[in-house]
Amino acid sequence: MILSDRAAGFDRIPVSSLLACGAVHHHLVRNELRTRIGLVIESGEAREVHHHCLLVGYGADAINPYLAFEAIAHARDNGEIGPEWTDDKIVYSYRKGVANGILKVMAKMGISTLASYKGAQIFEALGLDNEVVDLCFAGTPSRIKGVGFDVLAEEAIRRHTIGYPAGEGYVGILPNPGLYHWRKTGEKHAWNPFTISEIQAAARSGDKNAYKRFAKLVNEQTSKECHLRGMLKFRKGNPIPLDQVEPASEIVKRFCTGAMSYGSISAEAHETLAIAMNRLGGKSNTGEGGEDYARFKPMSNGDSKRSAIKQVASGRFGVTSYYLTNADELQIKISQGAKPGEGGELPGKKVDKTIAATRHSTPGVGLISPPPHHDIYSIEDLSQLIFDLKNSNPSARISVKLVSEVGVGTVAAGVAKGHADNILISGHEGGTGASPLTSIKHAGLPWELGIAETHQTLVLNDLRSRVRLQTDGQLKTGRDVVIACLLGAEEFGFATAPLITLGCIMMRKCHLNTCPVGIATQDPELRKKFSGKPEHVINYLFMVAEEARELMAELGFRSIPEMVGHSEMLEFDAPADHWKAKHLDLSMVLTPATKPHEKAGTCHQISQNHGLEEVLDNELIEKAWLSLTEAKDSRFPMIIENVDRAFGTMLSHEISKRHGVEALPTDTVHIDVKGSAGQSFGAWAVHGVTLELEGDANDFVGKGLSGGRIIIYPPKNSGFAPEDNIIIGNVALYGAVHGECYFRGMAAERFCVRNSGATAVVEGVGDHGCEYMTGGIAVILGPTGRNFAAGMSGGVAFVYDPHDKLLKNCNLEMVEFEKVETEKDLKDLRDLITNHREFTGSTVAADILNDWDRALPKFRKVMPVDYKRALREMAEEEARQKAETVGLDEGDARSNVAEQATSGRM
Amino acid sequence: MGKPTGFKEFVRETPAERDASLRILDWNEFHQHMPEADLRKQGARCMDCGVPFCHTGDLMANMATGCPVNNLIPEWNDLVYRGHWREALDRLHKTNNFPEFTGRVCPAPCEGSCVLGIIEPPVTIKNIECSIIDHGFEQGWVVPQPPAHRTGKTIAVVGSGPAGLAAAAQLNKAGHTVTVFERADRIGGLLMYGIPNMKLDKGVVERRVNLLSEEGVKFVTSTEIGKDIPADKLLNEFDAVILCTGATRPRDLPIPGRQLKGIHYAMEFLHANTKSLLDNGLTNGHYISAKDKRVIVIGGGDTGTDCLGTSMRHGCRSIVNFEIVPMPPQTRAPNNPWPQWPRVFKVDYGHAEVEAKWGKDPREFSIETVEFYGDEQGNVKGLKAHQVDWSKPIPGGPPFSPVPGSERTFDCDLVLLAMGFLGPESPVASQLGVALDPRSNYKAEFEKYRTSNEKVFAAGDCRRGQSLVVWAINEGRGAARECDRWLMKSTQLP
Ligand SMILES: Cc1cc2nc3c(=O)[nH]c(=O)nc-3n(C[C@H](O)[C@H](O)[C@H](O)COP(=O)(O)OP(=O)(O)OC[C@H]3O[C@@H](n4cnc5c(N)ncnc54)[C@H](O)[C@@H]3O)c2cc1C
Ligand code: SF4
Ligand code: SF4
Repeated sequence: MILSDRAAGFDRIPVSSLLACGAVHHHLVRNELRTRIGLVIESGEAREVHHHCLLVGYGADAINPYLAFEAIAHARDNGEIGPEWTDDKIVYSYRKGVANGILKVMAKMGISTLASYKGAQIFEALGLDNEVVDLCFAGTPSRIKGVGFDVLAEEAIRRHTIGYPAGEGYVGILPNPGLYHWRKTGEKHAWNPFTISEIQAAARSGDKNAYKRFAKLVNEQTSKECHLRGMLKFRKGNPIPLDQVEPASEIVKRFCTGAMSYGSISAEAHETLAIAMNRLGGKSNTGEGGEDYARFKPMSNGDSKRSAIKQVASGRFGVTSYYLTNADELQIKISQGAKPGEGGELPGKKVDKTIAATRHSTPGVGLISPPPHHDIYSIEDLSQLIFDLKNSNPSARISVKLVSEVGVGTVAAGVAKGHADNILISGHEGGTGASPLTSIKHAGLPWELGIAETHQTLVLNDLRSRVRLQTDGQLKTGRDVVIACLLGAEEFGFATAPLITLGCIMMRKCHLNTCPVGIATQDPELRKKFSGKPEHVINYLFMVAEEARELMAELGFRSIPEMVGHSEMLEFDAPADHWKAKHLDLSMVLTPATKPHEKAGTCHQISQNHGLEEVLDNELIEKAWLSLTEAKDSRFPMIIENVDRAFGTMLSHEISKRHGVEALPTDTVHIDVKGSAGQSFGAWAVHGVTLELEGDANDFVGKGLSGGRIIIYPPKNSGFAPEDNIIIGNVALYGAVHGECYFRGMAAERFCVRNSGATAVVEGVGDHGCEYMTGGIAVILGPTGRNFAAGMSGGVAFVYDPHDKLLKNCNLEMVEFEKVETEKDLKDLRDLITNHREFTGSTVAADILNDWDRALPKFRKVMPVDYKRALREMAEEEARQKAETVGLDEGDARSNVAEQATSGRM
Repeated sequence: MGKPTGFKEFVRETPAERDASLRILDWNEFHQHMPEADLRKQGARCMDCGVPFCHTGDLMANMATGCPVNNLIPEWNDLVYRGHWREALDRLHKTNNFPEFTGRVCPAPCEGSCVLGIIEPPVTIKNIECSIIDHGFEQGWVVPQPPAHRTGKTIAVVGSGPAGLAAAAQLNKAGHTVTVFERADRIGGLLMYGIPNMKLDKGVVERRVNLLSEEGVKFVTSTEIGKDIPADKLLNEFDAVILCTGATRPRDLPIPGRQLKGIHYAMEFLHANTKSLLDNGLTNGHYISAKDKRVIVIGGGDTGTDCLGTSMRHGCRSIVNFEIVPMPPQTRAPNNPWPQWPRVFKVDYGHAEVEAKWGKDPREFSIETVEFYGDEQGNVKGLKAHQVDWSKPIPGGPPFSPVPGSERTFDCDLVLLAMGFLGPESPVASQLGVALDPRSNYKAEFEKYRTSNEKVFAAGDCRRGQSLVVWAINEGRGAARECDRWLMKSTQLP
């Protein structure tokens, strides 16, 4: 069956293809006929990835986006693109682009086949009335109701008139609807020339009147046009004198800035935010990607560039023990409001030397954060990560960042039970200019929905008092803060607004590295143009807090905790004058939370019990006390059981705290462990710590390894052949940064995922070995599973492949094979295998060494292509500089150094 | 979207103007074009901002920020960069009926708020605009586009300045039958008789007027509404009336000696000059000549500058330009941040010409004229003036006070008063029953344009007070839209 809108014309207005598709699909489903027929949509409407996703998600089996094809052909005919774009090529390329887009969306949702995506309707409707949902999108949540068919029809008519204006003689140019770029007559944007210039004036001069004008514009105008909170108003409270409300200096402590990584924004901007937030007593956020250690030391004027919140994202870039130790809060980013489920991506040209250093990666090589955290596949895994992080820094609170979407309340309840101290509900509006366009527009939901749902669920389950709730997503004014608080938040994140006070003008060109005001760029010339000052952020946030205080006084609340969750102070303010918005219904957001019993808390009151008293590390710290305090050697035995998790993590934290990033000399603390280790054995173990385990270990061995040495071999008296048996669990060395490991036996799946610098020898690995690796060396003396080296952008793997099986198992998208032949490689490999034999008594290693000349040709070096190029470029650059200083013939130097570089690491 | 790195690669360049000491020898335009390749580089400098402040078009700190007709600047900048001139022209015409006027005379508030201006000299928006439309005319792309259907509604537009022309153009497009009444003998308002030929060639104005005629707009010249035709008569004969009569009442300087000969309003001087120039190339002597005279122009602004340029072309002996305000700073003052209109020292064409001839900028700042004096024949011979101090306002009086002992005398034979305008004249308002606002302009709300008489709309300087061509176009378009909405119950005019 083909549903077509080709007959659209002057006197025929087409029904939206999505409505048609959904209605027919559901009708057929209801009548149990759907599986007997195919549904083809022929539509001029489908053009963006999201449109195709929706059609497929509501049942389309095939789509013919004829107008999209014709538009591209038209562009060719007009000379916009070259004549080489034949019709076939256009269709092919457009289809490929859309298919990739759909794939990406499916990956975000964790769906791997189109068949499971089709008709799965994993969407939430925002602003659709039940009559529409029931007929066309049955089963889709639509929590705030909204427009019905009459309004949709009116919309269609309006759109039609643009294409077929009644009066003729008009210029035949379609208006730019201003979806991504502000246009005077286009879609409304919260940040427009007026709000931007007023907030900048207010922040720069501290001018309260400018702030008042800004707040008025936002609260009375743009909020109404763009945000759900614009459709809420305060009920009358019992006003109290302003001086009875807690001071602004207390309120600003509850403010944080958004997780924007150094890398996506410039060092200048990042550090200015940190200084500002530290002066305020609020918190800035590293974002994903580590932080320059130099920033941990206070500055001579008493300021500090240290970000209080250290983010732990799926890429684990720069997440070392020292980094974690220097935090007040550790934030696990499950997803980001503006791009839920999507990993971050930093293009190669933004990865300069400094950024590469903080991320422990290679300059010039683009960085992909894998979409999921490879150590979190369940809520139990998350709880494990929370535990690991708590061990890595017991004084930091652990926060989990979730995105506002339907069902987030239930997830949050799980997170609270998993002992998070803090939960952040991130709204969809948090998008930076770097977010993919599909995500800017179509992913995530307003925080108003998320925070209300979360608060209600947590109170109902008596979990609310154990956690702090935070929200973010285009908070701009004191009114926004007060509404967020009334809906359940007690802390507040600001991202875009502080950047705008520092000069951001919403170019939306963040990904091009051409930000003209030196914020979202690494270009040294453009960075010089940065003119933001900490005072700008401070001025602004104080004025926000003052505005909040005034509202609190009117409502009769003395402090933020007093105000949390009092949604009864809000009511729906139906925008009677807007033809579409007047149909909304926000009662769901405004439902007061139900307490399961009288004493159930409605804001943060008690601390989580993390169970740190019971971990073995307390004993390790005691036993290694002299190493900690005086750097003396200590060696002692321990017995471990599989309930003992994160062994060595807290000890490492204590070392980082005292000895900094250098930690201790090799082998200062040597622990001889026996038994079956629980999860996260040696997580974030630092340099100077050797964990020698006779036995086996569970998942996550050496997670985030930060310089330590881990040796694991089976019990000396065991009868089996170690090389045929799994000795360590899944996801070993995830996010390892530095250190060395020797495992006599095989590792399970995802060995060395996102390893960025550790060296490891193992006797075989399961599927997905070395995935997303960006640095370090993996020596694998046995078989590999499937999908080896997928997404591997750096580091090298040496695989002993006597039976030529690697080719079949390796994912060759980003890597190629080489022989082991340079001097350096030969030495590295031989040394590592020798160590392996020495430390673990491996017979596999011994056999190879005994017959080295014959074994060597059977080794394959797996080398990422981009990494090789970047190393060569670096080497060339260095050679050029050297040649300039020494006056040496350039060609010589280049080939020389280049050779060394391509041979591995320099 | 231009070239992402364009602003880093190319520097701002505008076409060289004709040499200042040569151009004062004739009345031809001083504006020149630049080669296409260079223009495209200038287009490439545009960053296609997420929030294009250039396109804002609103008041901030009481001055225009961004383009008042909301030109789709980033869009046509990109099209120019990519060489798609035709499409650029269509995009430009979408928001601006007369880019050939603004491209020449607009003070370009768009550039004042251009985001690139934060860090570099802004994009040359105005010049790109001018090039797009001039190129379009050259290529023959600008042709009359009469409406396919007529609504049968008739509309009278009073005044043929940019506001009146824009209103007429838009209403005609919507199919209404429009008649424009103009009291002068030529169409164009200040475009014709205010702004001199060297800044805006009168052929350029006539070209557009002819296009409008061909599209069906009727023009009636030398007919003053309120005098030649009673204004209320229009109400009976037309379905709606749009007043675009400009702010033509000049501000006077009532000080001793004002009655002396040789003291004129700037507009008398400029109007007569252009008329004589067009009628017979300044041979009939029906104009006020500055030849061999010592000229003082009181009042800065565009009018003052035009008096300078015109006097230079007459061959004046010397020329001084008084500004009561202090000299503006070279760069933005802290209380005048981007994206506000930059209140900085600018050298306009007239200043440059004086400087080229005598090596000195003609402007005197913070100066107030207190008395004219003359000879026995009653001709002005000179004036007395003193400096004023803006940091010492007089309570309840002017926002400045005289600097004691700073009085000076200046010799002169010709004084031109260019001190601004006070709103519309003539008895039109009372004949139509249209209320005035406190500044004596026609009272009508911005973006509504409806006066107290429901059939009558007002737009341009007569509603807004003395302003800019681009605002006049904006208002003319807006009044047309509201008028159409009222006549037809809905409108598709932007
Ligand atoms: C000397 C000078 C130079 C300027 N230079 C610039 C510049 O470089 N750039 C810029 O942007 N702006 C400039 N301006 C300002 C700009 O010209 C005006 O803002 C603009 O022209 C206003 O347009 P308008 O249509 O409202 O009125 P006008 O252009 O003033 O037109 C009004 C017309 O109505 C006619 N009229 C009035 N009453 C009647 C009546 N009762 N019956 C019939 N017709 C009537 C008048 O004769 C006139 O032709 C300048 C102004 C002056 C005086
Ligand atoms: S009309 Fe004036 S403000 Fe608008 S783009 Fe042209 S020069 Fe700039
Ligand atoms: S503000 Fe300047 S740079 Fe930005 S879009 Fe406008 S012209 Fe281009």
